Amino acid sequence: MRHTLAIAKRVVKQLLRNPRFLVLSVAAPLVIVYLLKIFFDTMPPLFDVARYIVPVAAFIVHFLAFILCAISLVQERTAGTMERMFINGFRRIEIIGGYVLGFLGLATFQAVAALTEAIWLFELDYDGETLATLFVVVWLLAIASVMLGIFVSTFARRESQVFPFIPLIILPSVFLSGLLVDVDELPDWADWLGHAFPLFWANDVIQNLIESGWEFGDVWASFSVLVGYAVALLLLASLTLRETE
Amino acid sequence: MDAVEVAGLVKRYGKVEALGGVDLRVPEGAVFGLVGPNGAGKTTLIKALVGSLRPTEGSVSVLGSNPLKDRHRLRQRIGYMPQSPALYEDLSARDNITFFGAAHGIPDLRKRVAEVLEFAELADRAGDPIHTFSGGMRRRVSLACALVHRPDMLFLDEPTAAVDPLLRSRFWAKFRELAGGGVTLFISTHLMDEAVLCDRISILRGGRVIASDSPRGILERGKTRLVVGRDGGEEERFIGGHPGDLAEALRPYGLSRDVRAVGVEAASLESVVLSIIEEER
Repeated sequence: MRHTLAIAKRVVKQLLRNPRFLVLSVAAPLVIVYLLKIFFDTMPPLFDVARYIVPVAAFIVHFLAFILCAISLVQERTAGTMERMFINGFRRIEIIGGYVLGFLGLATFQAVAALTEAIWLFELDYDGETLATLFVVVWLLAIASVMLGIFVSTFARRESQVFPFIPLIILPSVFLSGLLVDVDELPDWADWLGHAFPLFWANDVIQNLIESGWEFGDVWASFSVLVGYAVALLLLASLTLRETE
Repeated sequence: MDAVEVAGLVKRYGKVEALGGVDLRVPEGAVFGLVGPNGAGKTTLIKALVGSLRPTEGSVSVLGSNPLKDRHRLRQRIGYMPQSPALYEDLSARDNITFFGAAHGIPDLRKRVAEVLEFAELADRAGDPIHTFSGGMRRRVSLACALVHRPDMLFLDEPTAAVDPLLRSRFWAKFRELAGGGVTLFISTHLMDEAVLCDRISILRGGRVIASDSPRGILERGKTRLVVGRDGGEEERFIGGHPGDLAEALRPYGLSRDVRAVGVEAASLESVVLSIIEEER
């Protein structure tokens, strides 16, 4: 645990020492949410804005946590610091744990900022329990995204090799996870494929939560899958993070 | 016991053979130099010794341990300075050293970090981020990171490449200071003026060790140019590098009165190493 905390502390310190990066990674979600406001203001009055806005805020956190974590890890490999960590005795699971903890801080900040702005701008009215559960879902999605970033980083030798995974993993999840259209309206194969993305399960929980009168019994199954997804990605990441050439 | 024992070490990347059966021994407490041109396999060999590369064939023992099977025990006893600085650019020198030191559970880490910063002559820039440092300073931080846990053996991969001669001599003074404290040093280099400072060197070419000896022993394998100027003109001969060879070569002249001058141009380590490499081609 001492090693994991040392890595997390170092990751956070690196983020804080890079104010331009930090401002951009928090400002970007805020600007996107504002642009969404302008976009949705053009919709007819009866258009269900709430159905889209919270999942989109979750997607922004998902995308940024994934891409920032993947690039940071590839940078560790190209700079030689990953090899140095291993040779100094840090273990795979400690490196992954440290990254999750470190990036979770940033993801939490992004989630709070994006959701708070969305709720304020769109005048959404949720009770405290719903709000807290929404934050937990976005958190869980952020953990899964960090794991996904670690997993993908093992297939890239340079930073630029991370980008092909955006159209391969991130963009299909926008169309197939129920973010834009109900998955029941998709062809069967696309519906099934959609189930493979963590965003699908996060969106499922969010859609239940924003409906009034939800109970934990309505969301626990998707919640569990999201947790399972994070655990499965943790195992995959720990298997694929190479310690030796 | 030897600090490093390597037997029949082979590493292949697909069809490319980076190491083709390396046999090597490094005595404990020595300053050992691994000499060879670019692409000879020096970095690959060091990576196999520090446990970051899985050999295709052969056996490796470092301080009596297998670098892969006993990696966690061994990593407390070895330090590694890679060819690239391998530092976090946004963090300070102190933060970098503290982070890598945290892996070893060093008691009173803060005090130890201050000691290695002093040793690396970086105390006055300890709080500055690495991206403001020169190449030579980055190398000193990298050395400090490798030293922070007081290892018994240090692996330094071309530690003074692209470093000016003055700083290089200061680096070597540090290496000698460490060796004086009982640390075994394994240094890769392609600079012959550095190799000559080692206790023992091995020449690596094409993934194979083609010669191992002390620098003096290697020098003695070279040919010394002997020029004898006599009344009748100059005579040129090539003799062995051993001091006895010169006496033997002069004996026929009996140092007669007409011998006015004897010029000796000893072979440099660089020329000897180059000739050994050429002979092996």
